[in-house]
Amino acid sequence: MSSADDNKVTLTIDGREVTVPRGMTVLEAAKSIGIEIPTFCWHPKLKPVGACRMCYVEIEKMPKLAVSCATEAMPGMVVHTDSDLVKQGRRAVLEFILLNHPLDCPTCDKGGECDLQDLTFAHGIDDSQFDFNKYRFIRDKKSTFDDYRLGPEIIRNQNRCILCYKCVRSNKEVFGEYDLGAFQRGNITEIDTGPGQQVDSIYSGNLVEICPVGALTNTDWRYNIRVWKTQKVNSICQYCADGCNLTLWKDRQKIYRATSRRNDAIDEGWICNRGRYGYQIANAEGRLTVPLIKRGERQENATWDEAIELIARRFKEIKDKKGGVCIGGLAYPGLDSASLYAFSKLFRTILNSNNVDFRIDYKMLPEEPGDLYTQITSRKFSIAGIENSDVVLVIGSNLINEHPITNLRVRKVVTQKGAKLYTLNPFATKSGDISTDEIIYRAGTVEALINGLCVSIVEQKLASDTVDASKLATRVEPNTVAQAAKISGVEADRIVGLAQALGEAKHITLITGELLSTSITRDAITAAIMNLALLCGMAENGQIGFLSKYANSKGAEKLGVMPLLSDSLIAEMKTLWGGYPEQKGLGADRMILSAKKEEIDALFVMGSDPMLCYPDGQFVREGIEKLDFLVVADLFETRTTQMADVVLPLSSIAEMSGDFVNLEGTVQHFDQAIKPLGQSMPGYDICNKIASALKEPLFESVARMQPDIMRLLLREENPEIQRELREVKTSVEQASGEYTVPLFVVDQAHHFAHLTERSKSLSAFCSEAHLELSPSMAEKLHAETGTLIRVESEVGKVILPVIISEHIDNDVAVVTRNFSANPVNDLQMRKQRVDYVRLTRVEEK
Amino acid sequence: MILNETSVAEIKEKMVRYPRRKSAILPALTVAYHQVGHLNDDIYDEIASIIDIPAVEIAEAATFYTMFPKHPVGKYLIQVCHNISCALLGADSLVHYLEEKLGIKKGETTPDNVFTLITVECLGSCASAPMMQINDQYYEFLTREKVDAILDELRKQA
Ligand code: SF4
Ligand code: SF4
Ligand code: FES
Ligand code: FES
Repeated sequence: MSSADDNKVTLTIDGREVTVPRGMTVLEAAKSIGIEIPTFCWHPKLKPVGACRMCYVEIEKMPKLAVSCATEAMPGMVVHTDSDLVKQGRRAVLEFILLNHPLDCPTCDKGGECDLQDLTFAHGIDDSQFDFNKYRFIRDKKSTFDDYRLGPEIIRNQNRCILCYKCVRSNKEVFGEYDLGAFQRGNITEIDTGPGQQVDSIYSGNLVEICPVGALTNTDWRYNIRVWKTQKVNSICQYCADGCNLTLWKDRQKIYRATSRRNDAIDEGWICNRGRYGYQIANAEGRLTVPLIKRGERQENATWDEAIELIARRFKEIKDKKGGVCIGGLAYPGLDSASLYAFSKLFRTILNSNNVDFRIDYKMLPEEPGDLYTQITSRKFSIAGIENSDVVLVIGSNLINEHPITNLRVRKVVTQKGAKLYTLNPFATKSGDISTDEIIYRAGTVEALINGLCVSIVEQKLASDTVDASKLATRVEPNTVAQAAKISGVEADRIVGLAQALGEAKHITLITGELLSTSITRDAITAAIMNLALLCGMAENGQIGFLSKYANSKGAEKLGVMPLLSDSLIAEMKTLWGGYPEQKGLGADRMILSAKKEEIDALFVMGSDPMLCYPDGQFVREGIEKLDFLVVADLFETRTTQMADVVLPLSSIAEMSGDFVNLEGTVQHFDQAIKPLGQSMPGYDICNKIASALKEPLFESVARMQPDIMRLLLREENPEIQRELREVKTSVEQASGEYTVPLFVVDQAHHFAHLTERSKSLSAFCSEAHLELSPSMAEKLHAETGTLIRVESEVGKVILPVIISEHIDNDVAVVTRNFSANPVNDLQMRKQRVDYVRLTRVEEK
Repeated sequence: MILNETSVAEIKEKMVRYPRRKSAILPALTVAYHQVGHLNDDIYDEIASIIDIPAVEIAEAATFYTMFPKHPVGKYLIQVCHNISCALLGADSLVHYLEEKLGIKKGETTPDNVFTLITVECLGSCASAPMMQINDQYYEFLTREKVDAILDELRKQA
């Protein structure tokens, strides 16, 4: 009977023998052979608690029914999941669960997809032995119905709650959020927020999805539609490069909600609120539905024919007179691959210009192709692979906001698998709560700090022998721990401690984020990180994730929506298209600069809003004002469309099918949910129309173009990592004059790019830009939450309300961006590595 | 701050006795209760920052235990067990008797702030039912006469 393999156990379930890994529960063992046991409180990603007793099974030689979700499978067990005793037990459990349940299924939004409804139907009886009045939770004495708001989007009806605790458990265990609890005890146990709190984390929507009954509902779905009237559509989230898998629930032309479509390689069944509520932009008010042409001062409605004819004529005039190099294109990296490909093809084959770019929020792009940065980003990174690491190192990223779901994988490996997390940031973030050490460096000194780490690893004789470490001291500056400590403001012993942890680690996942990737010194930073990676042996035992930001940044990279491409990619394009423009192209930043100098005459912007998003508002404005001709395609009116000669209505992602490439390089397909709104069109159709009017179509049909796209997307470039330590000299800028507080312009968790402001639910979390300050900084300014502060830099000024941070504890100004009412990019200067500001209180009149 | 220095010191002293900080929640709540006489959200927040556990977990533990009153109570908190054994031996009529005698309803406090009357679940003293707990003291095998004597004695001390 017993298995030879010590890591396996063999047991019998309903007469069938099954061998499973040791440690598996009886429930999981049954599932593995297709035997379903009803459950309420069990969840595949949570630790079992045995709260509901619904999963009762009979195990021979055990005196009582056992909860299968919390009973480990043991060798020789004989389990019955469907005996009379089990049936009786389940019925009794259901009778108890229904004791105080209101049975208001007809008006409950969970009706039709409720575990309690389904399991009562399958296993329950239609009567109860209890004849006293049901216990009622009612907060508002005037009401007979208990609806209570836990946060911006979640409504709680305690009477429906069956106390499975899945909401509270997932919140603490998986999301690391402590804003929800189970209070009191017995049948008066109540799920509620913690003292003075709101349930408003970026993960909060998952609590609704995990609730098996209608106790937690969200305001977007509530009382809007019955589930059986909707159809499900497979989709992919468009609000970061994690690429969570979604299901859109729609009826005719309207989407009603988005839920997770569990993909264990990526999201493990969790999505963040951007993914959950961002769908609302498709049906939001204010969508552009017809083309607009500027006549005099006003933009007036026009037909597609008029708009395309005008675009073709003006592009042709410019091209004939001054050449394709005088036309540039900026595309949003959250567009589908077909649109990005068509965009690049339009420019390169029809307009004969290499001026295309998707990097709309990078200061001062490098001018040469194949820089080290691209070499690294083209390497494979795996979200699930984070679980193999014993050390995770995050540099320059507010991970929870940039990559909410990758952040969960980091939390998982740290809190459940005992890995150590180290964070290196210019200000503290939420990750600090689980970090072994949260290191805060002085703004703009990260290379110095990394150099210090490298030096210390070598000094401690922990360097990998796959690299010649002896050259380090001559290649990097600073080259002592003491100097690095002095420049970065980090204590030397912490540098040494982290170096030791990295040197001794078996498998490291290194993650860098936006605070580095968009920096003007990113080549130096990348070189420093590469040195560190080599010295720690990460190329063999670990992974380096320079995480891309947008839903399809990676696709845009692979499809070559950049001015300067590697030789091999150019060769590929020549084969596909039979030609490729000779002239060197310009990056986003230089296109705007050239526009300012009147060397670029026309710009075609597809789906992005550089006026709001590019880090140096004034610079963009000056460039765009000088243009002769500006075409902008977008979903809504933006700061950029307002300046356009022609505005084209763009379809949202929900209105087409296509694919995105996530930060791992995985190509993921999404289906079309609804028809394009009004006369809007997907980007690829727009590009094709322009190309046809100018010369010839780019493609006959998108389907025909797909193989070309896939060929580029599936191309692996994985260049050999050069095993030479690189030069890294640190140049440190000092704050000067009256502007002394380092400024960081970051994303708000519930707002992404220029788009999600249009989602009603997301706006309920946050609808304006803020200035986040440490408590001590706020005190210096005599500011409380909500106090208005004037934030001034050398080039711009904005007034923002204060939020006192729960994490930040140094003197920095962190402002949230991309809110159309507060263009904080006006504070930034493209040539400045770190922007400095002055903060003053706005005195009330 | 509601908690005084002595309480804070006492909580910190208790904290180090446990391998996991979370285990210090109940001892900390007890210290706070002894100082203040009841518990509330502000106290949870203070304890949270002393022992470095999220406030929600402190509040969960505190509300789970009925023996911590969550509102100001009289000098003597009378907790009558009304669970099965005590109920069978007359807990209900005991409660009525107390209500009558004190002139208050269950859950209320006498106007002179001396007595608060509540009912609680099993206090683990079933073998000596019916019983009640007043502040930290158990009173068992209760009869009306015994209750009279106990209340008289306490009122004298009040
Ligand atoms: S609210 Fe829902 S998820 Fe939370 S305990 Fe109640 S039934 Fe379970
Ligand atoms: S983590 Fe990223 S991809 Fe996933 S739901 Fe959130 S925004 Fe979308
Ligand atoms: S599912 Fe096993 S006890 Fe709830
Ligand atoms: S039932 Fe009253 S003490 Fe147990």
